Amino acid sequence: MMELRSTLTGRIVLTAVATVILLFLALPIVVILVTSFSSNAFGSFPPDSWTLTWYKALFADGSKWPAAMSMSALIACLSTVFSLIIGVTAATALTRSELPLRSAVYALVLGPLLIPQIVTALGLFLLFEPASMLGSPLAIALGHTVLASPIAVLILVATLRGIDERLEDAAASMGAGRMTIARRITFPLAAPGMIAAAVFSFITSFDEFYISQFLSSINTVTLPVQVYNSLTFDIDPSVTAVSAILIAFAILALALVAVVRWLGSGRQNALLSVETTAGIAPTGGEAA
Amino acid sequence: MAALTATAPARPRKCLASRRTRVGLLYALPVVVFLLVLFVYPIFSTLFLSLKNTDGSLTLHWYAEALTGVNLSVLFTTVRISAETALFSLVFGFVLANAISRLKPLWAGVAMLIVVVPHFISALVRTYGWIILLGDKGLVNETMAHLWVPGAPFQLLYNEIGVVIGTTSVMLPYTVLLLYGVMRGVDRRLLAAAASMGAGRVTIFRRVYLPLVAPGLASAGLLSFILSLGYYITPALMGGPQQTMIATLINQQVMKQNQWNGAAAEGVVLLLMTFAGLLLVKLVTSLGASAKKRSTS
Repeated sequence: MMELRSTLTGRIVLTAVATVILLFLALPIVVILVTSFSSNAFGSFPPDSWTLTWYKALFADGSKWPAAMSMSALIACLSTVFSLIIGVTAATALTRSELPLRSAVYALVLGPLLIPQIVTALGLFLLFEPASMLGSPLAIALGHTVLASPIAVLILVATLRGIDERLEDAAASMGAGRMTIARRITFPLAAPGMIAAAVFSFITSFDEFYISQFLSSINTVTLPVQVYNSLTFDIDPSVTAVSAILIAFAILALALVAVVRWLGSGRQNALLSVETTAGIAPTGGEAA
Repeated sequence: MAALTATAPARPRKCLASRRTRVGLLYALPVVVFLLVLFVYPIFSTLFLSLKNTDGSLTLHWYAEALTGVNLSVLFTTVRISAETALFSLVFGFVLANAISRLKPLWAGVAMLIVVVPHFISALVRTYGWIILLGDKGLVNETMAHLWVPGAPFQLLYNEIGVVIGTTSVMLPYTVLLLYGVMRGVDRRLLAAAASMGAGRVTIFRRVYLPLVAPGLASAGLLSFILSLGYYITPALMGGPQQTMIATLINQQVMKQNQWNGAAAEGVVLLLMTFAGLLLVKLVTSLGASAKKRSTS
């Protein structure tokens, strides 16, 4: 291994530069978390003294944040349901059937991920404005689904591709009907992927800004739009607390996906292993 | 297919195929209908709107307006900021991905976590973090003042320096992830082969490694360029009037001036720039694929 014999100084320099770049990625997040507990939300860093004022201010009378949070949660839930319906059906069509124009369907699904979100937002504005649906949570949720469903489709296509079709064939050969196969074999194995698709759809909708800004009204301000407004128009120090909550929320969601993936990864191996099929208890924890 | 016919030998193959086609069409219906109505149709109506006068007649007036005066300079600013962002994301991404690909699995995992987690945190939140960091009394300026850097505190906000710092940190995870994948895909035996023939490290890097990762570098750079073109959260919050980008312009034309046709024309211009970029990505990746074929054959 020639490349491993690089000089010590070279490696130290590379590691140092890489650490600085990692800091560059992590620092804005760390600084928000720290500042949200600082008594001077706009002042110096590191803070002089600590406080929970900004978190308390979130739920004070007249605060706009609870309404924005529940609006975003409602829209994200709707959009997650839509994305899962679209994702499951589309992924089934793309992996478990003979679909004419398969590549055209793929291109269509990838479209919203490649086209600038501002253009999608403008198009949706032109669609919903004449229908006087601006400001409707349903319209915003449908708009978010345009961005979230492609991600759900891609995750679920990867999930279904990863499931060994021999398991489904084996069940069929033993006389299981299509519904039974879906319920007893495919669904349990696809569950981690479905949870991942749901979490990513939820995050996509919850964080979405451009479409929300175009389609929202005074009564349907989502959390990102409220954050943007607080940073541009009215200076509200509790925006640090909101940002810290959003960071914690994203980390928790990613941790959930990681745990579910980890729990689910062993399941198919267990089903496929000869020992389990033959009814012999697997030796050690490796097969579980 | 062989497995399928083996498990259901009684069923004629032709009938099976047609049932599978019917299932495919039925299951593909939701996504196709949904995206045709809420994605394709809106984009086409944007296109039509950009070509129509207020009285309904066809015109190129809105494009003439989009490509002259202040609007043209916004277009240049957009391309300039996107190019700067792409360049920095590419350089930082290359160094970081390269360093990660040399780390032991545990440390590589930790480093990847630091790359991936910010990607899932709202860009608004990360931009706010930069606003706190880059202020006159922010951590960056305070640190530089403590280190007796001449000229500190610097003006790092509401100018192009701030915008490029903020936008680069948003685009960097994309380039790192893409380049890490490309670097993991490099066949290490090729490097070892070059070494065994007496090539020095610099030569191996320049003659073997770089050509192998070049298509990946090009597409990562183009991708961050394309993504930056339609982006405005960070430029709007961290920039001044000189950093207005095309997406901000579209937003202002709709929300403040009620000027839909103009906004639509700007949208189509942005769309065409994106398509041009994607076409280049496609070209680069197909060139890369044929180059790889030649080197291994």
